Amino acid sequence: MSVQAVERFRAMGCDVAVAGGDPVSVAAVLEPWEETFSLFRPESELSRVNRSQARVLRVSPRFARALRVALEVAGSTEGLVDPTLCGRWPELVLSGRMLARTPGLTLDLNGVVKALAVDEAVRTLEGPGFVSVGGDLAVQGPVDVALPANGAIRVVAGGLATSGTASRGEHLVDPTNGRPSGSCWEQVTASGATCIDADIAAKAGFLLGERGPEWLDERGIPGRFVGVDGEIVENDAWAGAARAVQACT
Amino acid sequence: MADSSRIERARRRARTAKTAVGALTVVVFGVAFAGAKIHAPGHAKGKAKPLGAPASFERTVRHSALQSGEIAPAVQPPAVASSTS
Repeated sequence: MSVQAVERFRAMGCDVAVAGGDPVSVAAVLEPWEETFSLFRPESELSRVNRSQARVLRVSPRFARALRVALEVAGSTEGLVDPTLCGRWPELVLSGRMLARTPGLTLDLNGVVKALAVDEAVRTLEGPGFVSVGGDLAVQGPVDVALPANGAIRVVAGGLATSGTASRGEHLVDPTNGRPSGSCWEQVTASGATCIDADIAAKAGFLLGERGPEWLDERGIPGRFVGVDGEIVENDAWAGAARAVQACT
Repeated sequence: MADSSRIERARRRARTAKTAVGALTVVVFGVAFAGAKIHAPGHAKGKAKPLGAPASFERTVRHSALQSGEIAPAVQPPAVASSTS
């Protein structure tokens, strides 16, 4: 993928990079996600849901889809990535488009929305390329990607995402205590079959601290961890994949 | 006397036949009842349990819910960077 083919613009509060497709089409995919889930837009559906004191609400299909993914993710990470940010995700019940929850329990779906938008946007590409929103990306065909704290990796298929405190400070919340995470990692990069898989793996790896590399290895997910002291740790799955060619030659 | 004896024998045969038919009816009913209890799908054979996946299955699904992508060593200058936003 040649560097000159990359188009850049802003959306969802992030830098967006697109290669191999029409940036207007990608922007058209991203806008409804921002319109629905932005916490900075008072009229977004998420803001309205959070203001509502109703116990049962009917939400849009897009909202229901994102919340369903968020609840699946909360289950698969045993609550590490939690749409309530306070460990109360089991109090949410979604049936079709009907959402039941304890009145006053607010949601933050930013943990999944950006990655879901990337996965939808990459399907608009006409050929080999990628869509990156704020550094979380999905590819169609092999793409070489620069990594935090130097280095690069080729993403052959799926997505790559990085989570941590390097850009926005301590914005990842530990759901066990509701406080900003005190992880021993500054940034965690993970590979996934999709951008959402990569994003969730990176967040979980970050929030688990020292257990992160092993947790990802147990699931066969490559992860690369940059410590707060600058030390780089690759789990076995990452190290194996990143050195696969050298080992064969 | 001989007529009385013949009537008495006829009554005994009738009683025996009634008893045999009655016993046979009870046996047939019992076999049919037991067969229905065991084989008829509309008959519950045990205490009803809630439908649901076993906990071990749920654990396995959760464990494998996240799927790995495919990565390899980079061979060109990177076109894009992965970073926090």
